[in-house]
Amino acid sequence: MPPAPLLALHQLVKNYGGVRALRGVDFNLHAGEVHALLGENGAGKSTLIKVVTGAHQPNGGTITLAGQCVADLTPATARALGIACIYQQPALFPDLTVAENLALRLESTSAASRIDWAARRARAKELLARIGAEISPEAEVSSLSMPEQQLVEIACALGSGARIVIMDEPTASLTQKEQHLLFAVVRDLRKNGVGVIYISHRLEEIFALADRVTVLRDGQSVGTHAVSDIDEAGLIRLMVGREVAQIYPAAESAPGHAVALSLRDVGCHVSGVRNVSFEVRAGEIFGLGGLVGAGRTELARILFGLTPADSGEITLHGQPLTLRSPQDAVAHGIAYVPEDRRRHGVVLALPIAHNMTMAIHRRFFPTTWLRFGAERTLALDFIRDLAVKCSGPDAPGSSLSGGNQQKVSLARWLATKPKLLILDEPTQGVDVGAKSEIHKIVRRLAKEGLAVILISSDLPEVIGMSDRIGVMGGGTLRAILPGGSDPHDVMAAALGTTGKSAA
Amino acid sequence: MKRYFRELSVLGALAAVLFGMAIFAPAFFSPQPLLSLLTREAPTLIVACGMACVIITRQIDISVGSMFSVCSVCAGLLAARGWPLLLVLPASILLGAGLGAINGLLIAGLRLPSIVVTLATMVTLRQGLNLVRQGEFVNLPDSLQWFGLSQRSGQLVLVGASLAFLVALALAMRHLAAGRFVYAVGTDAEAARLAGIRPQLVTFLVFVFIGALTGLAAMMNLAQSPQVQPLSGAGLELKVIAAVVVGGVAISGGRGNLWGAFAGLLLLACVSPALTHLHIEAYWEKAIQGAIILLAVVADGLRSRKAKR
Amino acid sequence: MLLLYVLLAEWLFFYVAGTTTNRRGVIVGFGTLDRQFDILRHSCEIGLLALALTPVIITAGIDLSIGSLLGLCAILFGKLWHDGGLPIPAAAGLTLVLGAVAGGLNATLITALRLPPLIVTLGTYSLFRGLAEAITHGSITYTDFPESFLFVGQERLLGLPTQAWIFFAVALAVGLLVHRTTFGRAFRTIGLAPEGARYAGLPVGRRLALVYVLAGLIAAIAAIIYTARLGQAKADAGTGYELFAITAVVLGGTSIFGGTGSIPGTLLGVAAIAVLKNGLACLPVVMAMNAAEEMSGLLTGALLLLALTASVLPKILSNFRASRHAPAT
Repeated sequence: MPPAPLLALHQLVKNYGGVRALRGVDFNLHAGEVHALLGENGAGKSTLIKVVTGAHQPNGGTITLAGQCVADLTPATARALGIACIYQQPALFPDLTVAENLALRLESTSAASRIDWAARRARAKELLARIGAEISPEAEVSSLSMPEQQLVEIACALGSGARIVIMDEPTASLTQKEQHLLFAVVRDLRKNGVGVIYISHRLEEIFALADRVTVLRDGQSVGTHAVSDIDEAGLIRLMVGREVAQIYPAAESAPGHAVALSLRDVGCHVSGVRNVSFEVRAGEIFGLGGLVGAGRTELARILFGLTPADSGEITLHGQPLTLRSPQDAVAHGIAYVPEDRRRHGVVLALPIAHNMTMAIHRRFFPTTWLRFGAERTLALDFIRDLAVKCSGPDAPGSSLSGGNQQKVSLARWLATKPKLLILDEPTQGVDVGAKSEIHKIVRRLAKEGLAVILISSDLPEVIGMSDRIGVMGGGTLRAILPGGSDPHDVMAAALGTTGKSAA
Repeated sequence: MKRYFRELSVLGALAAVLFGMAIFAPAFFSPQPLLSLLTREAPTLIVACGMACVIITRQIDISVGSMFSVCSVCAGLLAARGWPLLLVLPASILLGAGLGAINGLLIAGLRLPSIVVTLATMVTLRQGLNLVRQGEFVNLPDSLQWFGLSQRSGQLVLVGASLAFLVALALAMRHLAAGRFVYAVGTDAEAARLAGIRPQLVTFLVFVFIGALTGLAAMMNLAQSPQVQPLSGAGLELKVIAAVVVGGVAISGGRGNLWGAFAGLLLLACVSPALTHLHIEAYWEKAIQGAIILLAVVADGLRSRKAKR
Repeated sequence: MLLLYVLLAEWLFFYVAGTTTNRRGVIVGFGTLDRQFDILRHSCEIGLLALALTPVIITAGIDLSIGSLLGLCAILFGKLWHDGGLPIPAAAGLTLVLGAVAGGLNATLITALRLPPLIVTLGTYSLFRGLAEAITHGSITYTDFPESFLFVGQERLLGLPTQAWIFFAVALAVGLLVHRTTFGRAFRTIGLAPEGARYAGLPVGRRLALVYVLAGLIAAIAAIIYTARLGQAKADAGTGYELFAITAVVLGGTSIFGGTGSIPGTLLGVAAIAVLKNGLACLPVVMAMNAAEEMSGLLTGALLLLALTASVLPKILSNFRASRHAPAT
């Protein structure tokens, strides 16, 4: 009889509004084990972490820690129970030193307690040395690189004496050398009886490091295997799972031959995009697949002038473009429906009609004078055309569901009569009905001759919708596959494994 | 070294000004005027210490000038009634803390923007004082002068006390957990909350703190003159904010320290005598103060832009 | 709407309490028509500053420097006319340009360097007032303006104080700008979601710059009217006006956090403050104390705090209730 697992999740359910992020997940973690968690974007990994760290409360199911059932987990109790999490984006205080950051997290202080700087520094030094990081405890966190900050986070988890350490893609921004250091740290943790939940998209890491692996898909665990019992192909099969084809509207016509957008060796130092070259024809849906952090949104930001490119050439319908601001992009007929709908897409406090004309102020109101009647007509047209469910053009954006907000965001950009439409995760957090409506709209737009770039982490969507699929990874384009490709190939290209050749 | 670049550059500017004075107006350095200058600035230094804390928490308090006037007049009236110094001093500090608590409640409790709240309390307090006192001066008993000491030792006591306070607070900000709470809240209130700090409480207490310090500063000012002028605090807020910002305390919170604020204060304090010695009319003082504030924030802005690149 | 009732109640109170009959049986005080015109005359400068501030606050910014800029522009105007020998219209025109340039200084620092408006305008608050004092050496007052110019500030045109026409014209212009043009739309959007505005392709920097330049221009107009009303230009002109202007804007329903606000609301806010200020001066109690200025400052400050509290109270209460009913979030 093995001892009770450190952590056991039973039939965990978590809903966000109408979206079911976790629909009954079973998972357990033993002491001295590295348990990898794998799944597509949106499969429920981050939700799982949030529930385990107490940031969000589950809607159902139980969490058992070392045999004891825990209800009402809050961030504070989770910490007290020895759960530590290292996020992709370290949550440190940038203006404080490393030692201070460690102290703020680790020392349970009352306001009047005196700080023993020498002890603090010594402790920070010891923790950093344990993970082999060459960081001065006196360095300000803002002066550290992202991987260095991550190492500080790990030192922090180490220092708190955590029994369960969760690592969310810890190697995403690490160099080779730092990765090896990190692996050594993880093995060290395992030796000391700590349970590690290790989330990564890099299969080779999982095979190198993990003891067991659990695959999540659509908010459910679809299988837990010992790493020695499974190979890459098997894992990919588990991740992808379902059949793709039928649910997507079929292309009714082949894209034309006229090249709309052409990129040659486009790169941007700041956002880490490099050497991207591809063409999109008029009437074509060009899918951009890949995992979070692959550089897809960064590429879209380049094309929309938000972070201008510093190398390469961009031409639209044969005309070379300089895109230094969103205004430039809009003037050239480029439209971008952003990923973060609530912050960048729809201004929630403003009426639908205002949101729809926001990008066409100049064209629609040539005298700068507002034309309320015309604006209303335009909004009503789009509401009917895109079947936006709302009480009218004056309803504020906040009164709409996610899918209808997305349609408003789409309408804003269709109103500009663009030549190139970039959609960034257009169906994320959108219910099923609205999702297929959006798909139909996109298909129709392509048929009308619009060039579309579709960024999506939803593998079936990107495969089912696209005429061709560009797969990105590490800031560059890794492969271009035909639409309807085998999802395993797309996933393999995104993961950068060499197991299978691109079709 | 790199970490304290900002503070060192202020020290450099201060050294340059002092060097210039040494060449063009060596009389500036005779001990008595220098001591007088430091004595005059002692109350300002105390308030600047509080303002540094307020700005580090990413807030601002422009009502200190009015609080200073109210505390001065009230303390003066108490002293004129024959209260001993040992009672007047805590009374003034308590009054200041109470006024600061009003700001703190509105800002931390109701989450209103500090600039508008303190603008309102600044005018309310000032006009309230004018209404009640009609600009009348308060004559102070002789016993309060220099705390009953000789002028010179009184000056030494004031300067010594203010410097001691500066050192104590600077050490506390660095070595007491409370000081680090202030930095954490100013850097990222949400992250601070997750680390178990209560940001609203810290904000409230910081406003109480600057209120109490203003009460203390008012007493230090009373000891220097035979009368209380009801407008004695007018313009104090700008002087103090300028000193703190010039000294490298970032208006965006979480960055800077008291040593920098001290250097900034000395630099600004030298402006007025420097103008006199260089035969530039004193009317320029306010304009130069404004220009120095702008220069300091522009320099910080350029630096942070460069750092982002 | 509430503000309208408050204003009416306020006006009625002063009408009853502030109107008296003097020894010769003539009605004096608040209730006379002359006094009502006086209120209008006196509210023009603060009203103009409030109009200048409304778009600024709608973009979630603040401009503390407008009171000081009024002083600086008054001095510049006086100097251009008196020492520069320019005719009044030329001096006025040049002053307007200089006001816009001063607003441009704020605009440049805020948009090009992305500095917080609060500290920038606190710096120019000191700088502009300081320049006014430096130019006048703290003592020079420009007087002896020609009758034709004083007409603007002291006489009536078509039954109303002359400057009221200018005030109404500016109110109309700013009102149209905020409520009827794409500029106003952009201000609101920027106030609600600066990043969202950028992603919609709006020229955020240029719109913000416009708001501060406009504030400078209107402050210059206010300066000229101020000079015409008093017949003199002094360095301390407009001291503390920023508080009255901010109060009027906030009373008028413009959110201090940006995004919402209206010019009619601001006008009502200005009226509420103007009636308060002048009404107090008519109350026998206050007249006996000779403290109208102090009373109105005190009450305006308190009013601002009250209005701010009232504006956030519903949200605080609902948050409080929500946290009591659903402790697990």
